[in-house]
Amino acid sequence: MPSHSVPLTPGLASFLKTLKTNPIDTSIENLISLLKRRQIRHSRSCATATAHLLRSVISACRTSDASKLIERVQSVGRRLIAAQPREMVVGNIVRRVLGLIRDEAEDDRDGDFTLSEAGSESQPQTPRPGDDPFDRSVSKPISSLATHPVSMFSLLSHPDSETSLPGTPATASPSGRLPGHTPNKDIRAEVLDGINEIIDELGQVDDQIAAYALDHIHSNEIILTHTSSTTVQKFLLKAAAKRKFTVIHAESYPNNHEATHATVSGKAPDDDEIISTESFQKPLIAHGITVILIPDSAVFALMSRVNKVILGTHSVLANGGLVAAAGTRVIARAAKVHQTPVVVVSGVYKLSPVYPFDFDSLIEYGDSSKVIGYEDGDLVDQIDVQNPLYDYVPAELVDLYITNLGGHAPSYLYRIVSDHYRKEDISF
Amino acid sequence: MAPKKGGANKSRANATEEVEETLQAVVLADTFETRFEPFTLDKPRCLLPLANTPLIEYTFEFLANAGVEDVFLYGGAHSDQLESYINESKWRAPSSPFKQFTYLKSTSTSVGDVMRDLDNKHLITGDFLLVSGDVISNLPIEGALAKHRARRQTDKNAIMTMILRKAGRDHRTKSSSVSPVFVVDPTKDRCLHYEEIDHHSPESSRLNIDTEIITTHSELDIRQDLIDCNIDICTPDVLSLWSDSFDYQTPRTQFLFGVLKDYELNGKTIHTHVIEGHYAARVRNLKAYDAISKDIIARWAYPLCPDTNLLPGHNYDLRKGTLYQEKDVTLARSCVVGRRTVIGQGTSIGDKTTVKDTVLGRNCKIGKNVILDGAYIWDNAVIGDGTTVRRAIIANGVVVGNKCTIEPGVLLSFGVKISDGVTASEGRRITKAPRDEDGDSPASDPKIVGAGGEGYEYVPYEDEDEDETASNASSGLIYNMAHLSLSTESISTLSSEVSDYGGSRSGSFATSVSDDEDQDTHFVQDAVASVFDSLRDGVSSDVVQLELVSLRMTANASDHEVRRSVASAFMKHVAQSMEGGQAAGDVIRETFRKYHEIIERALFDRDSKAKPDQVDLLVLLQQDLVHRPRGDTVLLFAAKELYELEVIDEEAYEQWWADERSSNSEEMRKVRSQTQQFIDWLANAEEEESSEEEDSDEE
Repeated sequence: MPSHSVPLTPGLASFLKTLKTNPIDTSIENLISLLKRRQIRHSRSCATATAHLLRSVISACRTSDASKLIERVQSVGRRLIAAQPREMVVGNIVRRVLGLIRDEAEDDRDGDFTLSEAGSESQPQTPRPGDDPFDRSVSKPISSLATHPVSMFSLLSHPDSETSLPGTPATASPSGRLPGHTPNKDIRAEVLDGINEIIDELGQVDDQIAAYALDHIHSNEIILTHTSSTTVQKFLLKAAAKRKFTVIHAESYPNNHEATHATVSGKAPDDDEIISTESFQKPLIAHGITVILIPDSAVFALMSRVNKVILGTHSVLANGGLVAAAGTRVIARAAKVHQTPVVVVSGVYKLSPVYPFDFDSLIEYGDSSKVIGYEDGDLVDQIDVQNPLYDYVPAELVDLYITNLGGHAPSYLYRIVSDHYRKEDISF
Repeated sequence: MAPKKGGANKSRANATEEVEETLQAVVLADTFETRFEPFTLDKPRCLLPLANTPLIEYTFEFLANAGVEDVFLYGGAHSDQLESYINESKWRAPSSPFKQFTYLKSTSTSVGDVMRDLDNKHLITGDFLLVSGDVISNLPIEGALAKHRARRQTDKNAIMTMILRKAGRDHRTKSSSVSPVFVVDPTKDRCLHYEEIDHHSPESSRLNIDTEIITTHSELDIRQDLIDCNIDICTPDVLSLWSDSFDYQTPRTQFLFGVLKDYELNGKTIHTHVIEGHYAARVRNLKAYDAISKDIIARWAYPLCPDTNLLPGHNYDLRKGTLYQEKDVTLARSCVVGRRTVIGQGTSIGDKTTVKDTVLGRNCKIGKNVILDGAYIWDNAVIGDGTTVRRAIIANGVVVGNKCTIEPGVLLSFGVKISDGVTASEGRRITKAPRDEDGDSPASDPKIVGAGGEGYEYVPYEDEDEDETASNASSGLIYNMAHLSLSTESISTLSSEVSDYGGSRSGSFATSVSDDEDQDTHFVQDAVASVFDSLRDGVSSDVVQLELVSLRMTANASDHEVRRSVASAFMKHVAQSMEGGQAAGDVIRETFRKYHEIIERALFDRDSKAKPDQVDLLVLLQQDLVHRPRGDTVLLFAAKELYELEVIDEEAYEQWWADERSSNSEEMRKVRSQTQQFIDWLANAEEEESSEEEDSDEE
């Protein structure tokens, strides 16, 4: 009999595998249908797939003209976003790549113009060696912020000035195009490097976040968490290596309870979606941590004893609110009532520049049969069943965000957003 | 086609090397049923929209989801439409998830023919999925497939795994009149017996289980709670089994039943895989259409929901209250759009209109003060002001005038026009499609569609539509009521005959029929098929005779059954020829002249005084003709012809006329009314004859 090395059902793994061999249009279609069919879900899988796809798109693009590249990435990005508008990370990654291209195009131009102002500004930005684990575009504005605190205030008063900072004279044309000027080096290579960095970032983000664990989890604390988020698990595991504490785990029925049970009991989840399965090598209990699995309904009753709530999320919005697994809002509310701090751990890639004017539209409704069995014919016929997969949690219920860049107050997120995404890409 | 053949060879090479087996799938676009008439007169059923997406899209989505790489699509009726649709779809594009996509046209008239054709073509290289073009499922097939392969590894005879969805006792998606019953050995998931219970006929609502099954298995599950969505994982052996048993036509009632029954003979086993999560269903009839539309809108089939936008051009968006809406929808300020509604692009809804539980296609125009409740309105339909539509299907391009009432169960087929103020009464089916092969369409019936309207009431042909039972028995019943799913599996034209005899259509036959066992019906079915085909093809009467005898021998059928099948086959042939435009008298003369020997051989009372066999034949003819168009005329001609050919004697006619069976119901009396003149003539002729004889004696 044939060996079933390849999982039969298409998913992230099969997508990445075929990405190299398939023509690029096929891959795009493939990802679109995978997103539509929800065969790739979870923020990280979507982000990884998008980044890989865009890398192929750019390397297949036969032009080194930045404006053409941008157009191409925009058109692919629009289709991906249309396929699954509620996976906001797809849009985030597309915007980051667009930003990369624009940066490279402008750097290029800056070089030509030998613009001293921009040059001097960028000099202190890269004191670190090239093996900086952080994304370039991440580290650059941060350090620029450090060296030029003025720019932050100018940003507050004139939002436009921030974008014009890196290349002040040239960014008059917002698309970064410089007519009549052919770039003398291939910016594609730079962009591809940048995308590779994004991909690396996606792989490392959990570990980077976990590095802050010891600052936030102290001995003998009682931590409440929810869902089987890998980020949260790694965060707790890191702390568990040094400290003893208690974890109360809400099971997040009905959409994630199986994975949660597996996480708690330490059975390896056979989820192909998550590539870094090695992260699940040891459950918390193996580190001697007491883990208490509770039904979601018991959250409020136990909240009075909890020292800290640590939550994973689906995506983070520009206003500091978050879209997270259903049940998160209840937990955050309960925590608010009991004045328990709520900490959200999330990679920067989940941070979306989208402002939630209509949060209902951000919430995806899932499979009704998880709430009520489909075999219950009488009920199926007579009632409407809704199974929201996500909750919108307003910013005021969250006390702290921990990203791979460190801890931030929700009110500060706008700043990270503007560091990561170019203004012209926010609604492309 | 040539490169595809090459591809097939290659994949076969792969399979033999057992490097990696590609999963193949056979999609039956046409299931040779007529339950979607009158819509299927214009369009293949797999292109009918379900929640504004053609049915076949869901099936392909399921296959792509399952990781299928080779697809063989078998077209049936309207195969040119299907082909052009497929060629333009994303499944044929280079980016299609299917590496190979083969469209096979066939002239088959049953699933059995398709399977045998497939076997001849040698396209299938390994395990394959067999689905019909109306399956809707979000099931990842892995689990079932892995089990199937594991089983197959240990036992080469495990040839097929059926995927069944558990669905409690009552469920809207299950067909309610016929329920499939699976007898399963739960220890091995092996299906031991299969039968369909027809709730409408008292005779078949019991289960006959072989005693051996009960004695040899320590554990048995008898399950009626399963939705059979016709997703089968098959091995190539299945095809050869179809080929071996050349008379199987339907995949369940005949193939499955037959293979299970002949387990002793061929040793093949068929297994079940019962799923409890995920969604799997088949749009087998209009009731299921209604139920599955609701399921999809209520997200039971997630991620197969309208807002998944399966078709590239779609842009549905989920709003509050399970309202799916595309862009560019014009809603009047005062209209009320209720829950569970789908509205397609370009549709406009007028003032004070109420819409609820309704699917609206693209570019529909809904007037003012309209009430739409549970309606399915396809693209480009126009509904006038003040009209009410409840639980009806309105197809593409239909125009309904002002102040009309479309009652529940009405089906308005493509392009029908209903003029102002008309009430389409419950269960009526109105179409504009040409009925005959030469393209004539009957004139519009102003009684039904109003003055200036277009369309006529659709009455299905008897001999090709088992729904006829339904429409007759049930004028006024709704399409989503039980009767439309009668004889769920009947796929061939022939089973309509069987269901006629099943007693479900009128009580008057019950006496003559109720004692028939399954085996007999099989015989009748086979024999009717055989004789009918021969008559159509003009095979010589000896050959027909021979076939009939051999069939009779194998089935150990009674003479009564032989007569029944002969009568039925003849009448069917006659009816069909008449539809082809021939006059009743000519057809009957021609047929009976050529084949009267067949009838004669079924009669054994030539020399006796009482003529029970001949009377029986006449009664059977009469019964058969009750439900055929112009049955009374045909009966008159037939009686006359049989008399002239000296197949049936005068005494037999007298006895028949006197026989209470021939006049025990209104219908029977009606159909024989015309024959009265013949009987009278006969009585007179007898007298004349005797006088003639006297004359001749004198000469």
